Amino acid sequence: MIKRRTMLKYIVKNRFYYAILFPAFAVVVFLTVYPVVQVVANSFYKYNFLSDERLFIGFKNFSSIISDDIFQTSFVNTIIFSFVGTLLEVGLGFALALLFYGKFFGRRPAMIIVIFPMMVSTMVVCSVWRTLYQFDIGLLNYLLKAAGLGPVGWLNNPHLALFSVILVDIWQWTPFAFIVLQAGLLSIQREVFEAASIDGAGYFRTVFSVTVPILWSQIVLVVLLRTIDTFRVFSKVYALTGGGPGNSTETVSFFIYREGFVYFNLGRASTASMYTLVVIALIAVVYIRQIMKEGDV
Amino acid sequence: MRATSLDRKGPLFWILFLIVLVLVLFPIYWIVVTAFKSPLENISSVPVFFPHGLFLKNFVEVIAGGFFGNLFNTLFVAVFSTLFSLLLSFLAGYALSRHRFPFHFNTVFLVWVLAVKILPPVVLAIPLYTLFVAAHLLNNLGGLIIVYQVYTLPYCIWMLFGFFKALPTEYEQAARIDGASNLGILWHIVLPLMRSGVIATSIFSIIMAWDEFLFALLFLRDPRLQTLPLKIVNFITEYETLWGQLMAIGLLATLPLLLFSGYVYRKMSSGFTMSLK
Repeated sequence: MIKRRTMLKYIVKNRFYYAILFPAFAVVVFLTVYPVVQVVANSFYKYNFLSDERLFIGFKNFSSIISDDIFQTSFVNTIIFSFVGTLLEVGLGFALALLFYGKFFGRRPAMIIVIFPMMVSTMVVCSVWRTLYQFDIGLLNYLLKAAGLGPVGWLNNPHLALFSVILVDIWQWTPFAFIVLQAGLLSIQREVFEAASIDGAGYFRTVFSVTVPILWSQIVLVVLLRTIDTFRVFSKVYALTGGGPGNSTETVSFFIYREGFVYFNLGRASTASMYTLVVIALIAVVYIRQIMKEGDV
Repeated sequence: MRATSLDRKGPLFWILFLIVLVLVLFPIYWIVVTAFKSPLENISSVPVFFPHGLFLKNFVEVIAGGFFGNLFNTLFVAVFSTLFSLLLSFLAGYALSRHRFPFHFNTVFLVWVLAVKILPPVVLAIPLYTLFVAAHLLNNLGGLIIVYQVYTLPYCIWMLFGFFKALPTEYEQAARIDGASNLGILWHIVLPLMRSGVIATSIFSIIMAWDEFLFALLFLRDPRLQTLPLKIVNFITEYETLWGQLMAIGLLATLPLLLFSGYVYRKMSSGFTMSLK
């Protein structure tokens, strides 16, 4: 009883801080707790939003979604997209950061130019790549033909389309990895590299035995951020291929979108969301641990 | 200062440097020239690298097609979702950086906010959609501003929290001794000191909201309310080959953001690490 009273007194004394935290707290609760509870609940129902049919069916959605060919394809596609995209974006970004290290003529304007792709609206990026990829009169196939090679179905070939979409993501987001890693590179004392070259370390030795270990935590963070972002890819798939040809570019986000907002099967869409959340939770644990390690919380 | 192996800039460097610039710039160049090409030039089987004249009709058509309405919607939603997030996170960030809440709540809350950032938006979309249908918030820019908090709020909270933590508390203590009220301190002392942080946060937040597509697609069905990303995607699917007009919209939609490139570069390359989270 006494404890409760001191607690209350403490809150009253500090009511200002409680009051100004509350609005943000309320919005965050509204945006997370309510939707997640709904998703969990709906995943156990056969629930069609248009016919308003809502029937408890236990784990039936879970077994039918996991054995659904299209869901499996979309899951594999998402993993490929996320893995290949992140790997190449961070790898190329790091290579660019190394390339731009030091002083040279035109460095500053070139840096600003290199971050242009991430400043262009995603939908505009998709539009221009659609014209470049166009089968009959697109520029890429024109160049291939000029070089004596056959036209390529960038977005029509089911074996290639996913990689064409990934390429657009790489074009747009490599600059992000680049700019973050080059800032990290600049924060390393020059003496470190000087010592390495006095010790006789060549270029690749300096990069892999000195630079990478020092930048490691930043590299990990960029990898995680790009993984989170590529894992949810939706707009590029929607604008470039619509999931096709066949289901060759369908991703998990696109699958959930189609189940939920084209067929209005909210139950199945929720179950697919649950499977996605399992993977997201794994990424989140690594990500949050990394940020706690940086000591920002 | 002696040169290290990372500094060497030989001929190979300049070749790679040029290749990078071409790869980056060519698609952007293509947006610009396509916007100024006539429909005939755009469907020519031999690509036209340099248009014969400035074909301005694309822009005329796009503006007649209601471009400014879409621009207004985009700007309205981006600015107001950012303002709303800034207000909430300015208050919350101050509380989190200046007061230790019981049960490690500061950490719990910040991690919770990160979780919002990590969740795929499409997962949140279904429950929010049914709720918004019930609340008649569909086809409503105000409703879109609420759901955009999913993107802008976590970002603003983390950014402003970082700036608050770096801000010395001496000024606040001095003002408190002089008898200033809590809100007075926040408004007259803290806000002016935080100005550059608030501006940086708002610019990044506006860019994020400007680009958003999924929620706009789901929550806006009325063509008059469409934001620019939605307008562009509908253009792609409906008029596949009107590339000139498509790129004209794209160019107009992108120019405002490209103008910020220098600023974004400056912020991000000066160890602006909070932009990471």
